[in-house]
Amino acid sequence: MTEPMIRVRNLTKAYRRGGETLTVLDRLDLDMERGQFYALMGPSGSGKTTLLNVVGALDRPDSGEVFVGGADLMALSGSELSRWRADTIGFVFQGFNLISVLTAYQNVRLPLLLTPLSRQRRREQAMHALELVGLADRAKHRPGQLSGGQEQRVAIARAIATDPDLILADEPTGDLDREAADQVLELLGRLSRELQKTVLMVTHDPLAAERSDRIVHIDKGRLGGLEEPAVAHGAQA
Amino acid sequence: MEFPLLVLRNLTRHPLRSLLTVGSLAIALFLFCTLRSVITTLEAGLAAASAQRMVVQSTVSLFVGLPPTYQARIEQVPGVESTCKWQWFGALYNDVPFSQFAVDSERLPALFEKEMELAQGSYDAWERNVIGCVVGEGLANQFRWGIGDRIPLIGVFFPHPDGADVAWEFEVEAIYRPLVRNFSGHGMFFHWDYFDRTLKAGGTPPRVGAYYLKLEPTADPASVSAAVDELFAAGPQRVQTAPEAQFQAQFVSMFGNIPFFLTAIGGGVLAAILLACVNTMLLTARDQTRDLGVLKALGFGDGRAFGLLIAQALTLCGLGGALGVGLALLAQDGIAAALGGSFPGFAVAPRTVRLGLGIAVALGLVSGAFPAWRAGRLRVVDALGARE
Repeated sequence: MTEPMIRVRNLTKAYRRGGETLTVLDRLDLDMERGQFYALMGPSGSGKTTLLNVVGALDRPDSGEVFVGGADLMALSGSELSRWRADTIGFVFQGFNLISVLTAYQNVRLPLLLTPLSRQRRREQAMHALELVGLADRAKHRPGQLSGGQEQRVAIARAIATDPDLILADEPTGDLDREAADQVLELLGRLSRELQKTVLMVTHDPLAAERSDRIVHIDKGRLGGLEEPAVAHGAQA
Repeated sequence: MEFPLLVLRNLTRHPLRSLLTVGSLAIALFLFCTLRSVITTLEAGLAAASAQRMVVQSTVSLFVGLPPTYQARIEQVPGVESTCKWQWFGALYNDVPFSQFAVDSERLPALFEKEMELAQGSYDAWERNVIGCVVGEGLANQFRWGIGDRIPLIGVFFPHPDGADVAWEFEVEAIYRPLVRNFSGHGMFFHWDYFDRTLKAGGTPPRVGAYYLKLEPTADPASVSAAVDELFAAGPQRVQTAPEAQFQAQFVSMFGNIPFFLTAIGGGVLAAILLACVNTMLLTARDQTRDLGVLKALGFGDGRAFGLLIAQALTLCGLGGALGVGLALLAQDGIAAALGGSFPGFAVAPRTVRLGLGIAVALGLVSGAFPAWRAGRLRVVDALGARE
């Protein structure tokens, strides 16, 4: 049996708000296989984004174990986690989070600055990522000159520019219309199917979740269930 | 490649804000360099004084004159090559004050042979004309005087014997050019004899404000000084003999606390601009919080986030500083002309340029330090606002 891409055990995370302690992740256990497209669903405040942040090493849990791609995240220092993120993770955010003062090409090339690649190779890789998302002809456009769907595709290009093993997407279609959302979901699906990337996508949208291989339900910080999309939504097998 | 680009692009995110900050910095550094240059010009004047020249004056005050008969006795002192009477006149030309001195005309050229040369006219012509005078190039340009022009001056400290409103008449016979930066080009020299005769005619023979001594090359200034002072120790008017630099230092001390005030004003301006820069950098950092979060999420470390903010502060302050110092350098000749003879040789010294640029860099580091420190410590989830 191959090692899972993501393995969390007894994961706990709580926030203090106004003197109250709010437990967001409550002794969560979860395994996710390599090369699969996972949708993470659950009500607001259930801990979806917190789990995504912990798995992406953007936030630290209070306790528990987190192994991603074989790395023990709890054992790494802050600077080691930064390095690890640059090597392993590609992030896609709901609000796109492109740097508004840089062009699409410059945004995609940003994470490549942390690699030892030559200038020429960085350029090729950034352009290749833009070609994969169908936006090579928009390379010199700034985010403000692109539609929401195009911005999110540029963000996906940025996420895959360094060829990471894991793509973490937080509500990637939340700010998009249906047509643009379909394009983004299709892209994420292709990354998983064709490039064997593990994709973990937080979503509230059942239609978006349907495009994944597995749906992980989180409720009150605990695993609510792990299902295949057809089963989850009663679709034809 | 993207990092410097990001620094520049971030600074143009709010062009007006950046422009106003750079403009404020430029004005502050311009003021600082200019005010500082007034002080360094005074200091440079003292440093440029000749060791081969000494000045004899009354022990009481520069405003208490010495008997004209002292000159012959001083010239007998071993080590003294020549002497020259030196009397400040303090008259007005069309109500405008400037420096005029009654001197021994035949001795002046040798006394300042390394400091001045004639640009127009001749010393011979001056010698022949009792009301003749030699004026500095700066002064001639200021009042558009040329050779042969008549100059009426109203005496304030030495009114004309024929009446306070009667002008002393002078005629320009030569125009000199300073050979060293700290020698005033706004002075005027005229015959002691004219001064002496005119006042004697009015019944009040003048005394001599000071005697300039030119020493022999091998003379020991301390011995000369002691000998001259000893010569008149019993009166009728005791004297003190000092090197030219010490004599000039008296005038600097007359400015009292002005150097202190200039330093204080310059420092105050810089302190105010520092607060403005801190404010700008705090706003800049706030605007870029999400971008910093994105950079950190992509794998850029805390140090890079710190560096991005510091680099922006340094760029902003460096640009403003360079502009301000550059403006001060460009304006120095104009300011020197406007100051006239008050601060001969006014110039922005290289050490003032270095100090100005150093202050600009320090402003950048100090104003960027706190926002950059905060950027370095920023948690990614807080920056992205991504927490559920």
